[in-house]
This record gives sequence, C-alpha cells and structure tokens, in this order.
Amino acid sequence: MHVEFLGIPRERAGVADLELEAATLGQALALLAARFPDLGEFIAGGSLHPSLAANLNGDEFITDPRRALADSDHLLILSADVGG
Amino acid sequence: MPPGYHGFYLRIDAGTGTATRVPLPEEVVRQYLGGSGLGARLLLDQGSAVSDPLAPEAPIVFAFSPLVGSPLTTSAKFAVVSKSPLTNRINDSLASSGFALAGKRCGCDAIVIVGRAPELSVLVIDDGDVRLEAADDVRGESCPATEEKLRARLGSDYRIASIGPAGERAVRYATISHDGRHAGRGGSGAVLGSKRIKAIAVRGKQYCEFADPKRVTELSRDLSKRSFGPATAKYRELGTATNLLTFNRFGTLPTRNFQSGTFEEAINLSPQELAAQREKTRASCVACTIGCEHIYAVGRTPQSGAGDPHSSPAGVRVEYESLFALGSLCGVGDSDAVLRASQRCDELGIDTISTGGTIAFAMECVERGLLDESWLRFGDGAAMLRAIELIGRREGIGALLGEGSRRAAEQIGRGSLAFAPQVKGLEIPGYEPRALQTMALGFAVGARGADHNRSGAYEVDFSDKVDRRNATLESVRHAIETEDRAALMDSLILCKFLRGVFTDIYAESSAMLRAVTGWDVTADELRATARRIVAAKHQFNVLAGWTLDEDTLPDRFLDRALPNDPAALLTRESLDALIAEYHRQRAELS
Repeated sequence: MHVEFLGIPRERAGVADLELEAATLGQALALLAARFPDLGEFIAGGSLHPSLAANLNGDEFITDPRRALADSDHLLILSADVGG
Repeated sequence: MPPGYHGFYLRIDAGTGTATRVPLPEEVVRQYLGGSGLGARLLLDQGSAVSDPLAPEAPIVFAFSPLVGSPLTTSAKFAVVSKSPLTNRINDSLASSGFALAGKRCGCDAIVIVGRAPELSVLVIDDGDVRLEAADDVRGESCPATEEKLRARLGSDYRIASIGPAGERAVRYATISHDGRHAGRGGSGAVLGSKRIKAIAVRGKQYCEFADPKRVTELSRDLSKRSFGPATAKYRELGTATNLLTFNRFGTLPTRNFQSGTFEEAINLSPQELAAQREKTRASCVACTIGCEHIYAVGRTPQSGAGDPHSSPAGVRVEYESLFALGSLCGVGDSDAVLRASQRCDELGIDTISTGGTIAFAMECVERGLLDESWLRFGDGAAMLRAIELIGRREGIGALLGEGSRRAAEQIGRGSLAFAPQVKGLEIPGYEPRALQTMALGFAVGARGADHNRSGAYEVDFSDKVDRRNATLESVRHAIETEDRAALMDSLILCKFLRGVFTDIYAESSAMLRAVTGWDVTADELRATARRIVAAKHQFNVLAGWTLDEDTLPDRFLDRALPNDPAALLTRESLDALIAEYHRQRAELS
C-alpha cells in the first residue's frame, strides 16, 4: 500500500510517502515505528497516539489495529489536533 | 471569597475616569468561574444586550480567572467580552500574557468599562487606582508602537493592551492587542475605540493566595511535564500552520472565497517552506510551556540578516488562520505578501480572519462585476495589501470593507449575501463546511458566529466518530461536547492547545480548581458550569434579538457540492435537522 505522511508524522519520518506491505493497520504502524524511531513515540500497541490520526483513501478515519488493508489502499498518517 | 479570587470587579466610567469596586458574590464566580463565563454573566448583569455596542453606555469586560497568577501552564490569559459591533451578538475574545497577570494584581477579578472619555485617552490602572492620561502621542500609532511608547512613558512594569488605527476608526473587526497577541475576533477593538480608550495600562501588587499551594505546585509540575509530550508536538515543532497542507490534501482548505477546497500554491504557505525561505524563531506566552509561536522574518533569508526577528519589525507571528485567510482564501500564494499582510493586520489592529474573509468576498464581487474595483483580484498580493491599508484607514473601498462582509453584501446587494463568508456577521474560519459537516453545525449555532475557538467540532470530523461529509444526528452530541469543553477552558482559563494532554478535562480541571479555591468542586459540577456558560451566551443573544433563522450558513454552502469534491454536499434540510437537534439537546441539558 501507499503511505503518505502529513504534519508531524512527515517531520518525524523525514519522508513524504513510501510503499509498505502490511495486512492490517496495526502491522503497518508497527513497521513504521520500527523504520522511523522518531515516529515511534507516537505509536504503541499497534495504535497511534491520540494526537495523530490514520485515514484510509482520504475517506475514512480508522483506529482499529485489526482493520484489514489492501495493497491498493492509500494510508494517510497525520496530526489529529487540527485547529488553531 | 475563596482563594484564587479577589471578590471584586472594577467598574470604570471612561467619561469621568473614576472607578468603583463592586463586590462579586461567591455564588456568581462559582457558577461562571472567570474569563468568558464571568464576562458573559457581568454583561447580562449590566443589561447591555439591547445597547448599541458602540454606544457610550455599552460595557466592555476584561475578565481574569481563578487560575491566573498560578504556576499552571498557559493560565496567564484574559477574556474580553462585549456585544460585538460586527454581529450585534455576544463576543468573547481571549489573549495571553502579562496583561492578565498584572490586571489581576490590580485587586480585581474583572474590569468593566463603560462611558466615553472626553478625548482619546490612556486608561491607567495602578494597583486599583484609576486615571485617564492623554493619548495624543500614540494617536494613529500601531499596536506595537503604542505599547512601546507607553512603556517608555509609564514604566516597564506596566502591561499594556492597546488598539491600533483601525480601532480608533471603528473598523468592526478591530482587535485589542497585547504583547503581539490579540483579542482578535468580533471587534472588541472598535468597542474600546468607541470609548476613546487607545490603551489600558495595568500594574499591581495584590496577589491571590491558593487554598492548597503544595497541591497547586504538584499539579502544575505534572501539567507542565505533560505539556512537553507528544500531544503538543505539533504546536512546538510546526505551529498551527501544520494544518495548511493537511487541509489542502483533504480538500478542506477554503480557497478563493470558498469557491474551492484546494489551493494549487498551498505548498508555498506550509511551515516547512516558510522556514526554508527565511529566518524563524520560536516564542511562548508568559507562563506557557508549549511555545507554539513561530515567528518568521519577512524578507530575510536564513543566510541574510542576523538579529532577533521577534524584537524586529520584520518578525511576524504566523498562525494557520492568518495563512488561510490572507493566503488561499484570497488566492495569494506569495508567502512574503501573506506574511506582510499578517504583519500589517497586527499593526493596524484588525482580525486576520475577518480581514481576509472580507477582502476575498470583495474579490469575488469584482470577479462577478458587482464591485467596481478592478484592481482587487484574486491572487494579487499587492492588491490585498492595498486593501488592508485602506481598511485600516477606512478610506476608499476600505470604508465599506471595514464593515465586514455581511454589511458590505447588504450594501452591494444583487445576491452577494449568498456568498458573503459569514455566520451572524462573523467571517468563517479556515474549515470548509461542506467537507467538515460537524464543524458546519458548530459554525451555524455558535453564539458569536462562525467560530473555531468556541466549537472544536472539526476535531470530530477528523476522527472515526463521524463521516465528515455526511453528518447525522449523532454529530450533534459531539458538537455540543466540544462547545462545552471550550466554554470551560475559556473560563478557567487554560489554553486550548493543552486539550490533547487531558484524559478527562473535567476531572483534572476540578482538581486544579479545588487546589486553587478550596471548593469541593467535582467533574460533574464543571460539566454543568460549562453548559451554564454556553446558555448565558445564548441568553444574551436572545435578549439582543436573536432568532432561530440566524443559525444557518450562507446559501453558497447549501444544496451544492464543493466543486472539487462531489461527496461534500450539505443540504439545507440536513443542516436544519442538525440545528433543530442541537437546540433540542441544549434545552434538555439546561
């Protein structure tokens, strides 16, 4: 799947996007935490810190680590505390 | 009166320069806390809902809070509450820093100003003693210059809140500025200007005790520690400008007066790009550990000039709302023009959201042939800057635009009200309502108009709790919850950038309030308090003539999908159902 970072996740990952192989949201987040230690502060137990959010294909915000992901999916990881 | 409060407010008649210390009953401060809540209560007590907001008798309230003066991070804030000259409804704006601390040390929990000074004056409050001084030397001066001159005249221990040239000329969205921060929305600067008060200078030595100082220290340390964590990383590392690219990515970045949700030059206005092109420093409000302020040097690259942009006229503090309003909303992608525009708004003392919203509206009127100002075009940064100068002076087209987009549309006519970007007269902040429909409800029902600070419903839209493009009645509960939370935080007072730090804000706030005041206050009591404060604002509006048909959005947003996102469609029927459910639930809660 394609993973795109916005806001703080992009700062911490140091890249705007990448390709990743993962079957579930929890797996994807665990892989990202291992690959980008600075992002790991925001990931625990297959879930994101509440200050970040995961969105699928620009449509649906998802939180369940068991949520299945497809190769064709576009996963966005962004700062959730929008506003100001 | 319990610790944390003085038990008095200072009622000042600007016409005579005299003050009265008026007792505040404990039951009133326990029911309304401080800040926005206490301000709303005092406005109701003054019977001011029916007044012309710019009339001498109309009061303006500067309200502090029980937490002001405590070591609790972000608590050095004050609320300015009055009837808005922009909306003719209640207006409460908050600002941070030393004015709150010094004002409360004058021995009062609030300052209520009525009357009109014989000439433009500086209101000096010295430890509770009040006098008027001439303001001839600061007439027409910018907000920063006014503060600097008055500190030189009065002494560096004074803290000064001032209006700029726009407030002197009653621009309906003029701000009150202090230390570079603004009580920004709704035109409180015009209200102060109508009283011929250019600035208020405060200093004092009267401190409030805390009921349990040891516990206050413990809670403060814990809160400060958590404020350094991941929940506030966004504010520290990138600032609120982070939102810009995110919103653009989701098609929710208002562009060219809400004609689109994406802006092709958004990247130019991103914090990463701003920082790459110029020097940047960070700063904090007094008593704040977050440090959200990202201050950019205008026209200086990282390699060129040295020095501290914060203390230089070249430095400008940038927030998402200013970037959106003066950038994408006006179609301007030239970051230097946007930063200069933001800086000029700060100097003139005008709200960047209303300024950008009103100019963008005028640009669309020009585009449609409704306004004969052919120079004022989307995308033209120089034209935007020229319009800002004219607004600040109320000259030429600036006389019309200084009225705000609703009044301008009423004068222009020919159907332009349908695309004036406002609710109740207050220009809409940077959240596309068709694509963020819980926020659309928050805008529609907001007591002070379209407002992202009194309703945080956009957070719900950016979560798995709702479908942001298809709001249901379930959205209403969430919108009410964010409104209640904002009412609590604006009354305690704590900065909303802390909100992500709390697991249960009502429980934690009750612990803080217990330690400061000694009250046996519970989370449930604070929930009821928050609802009472929201109800007080609605009560003020009812007395001021509010009717249900004000709770809506402009026609542009209804029954037509957002051009770049066919799924972002909000029908009038759907919005009306949400609004009806909101009022049903509010009535049930009261």
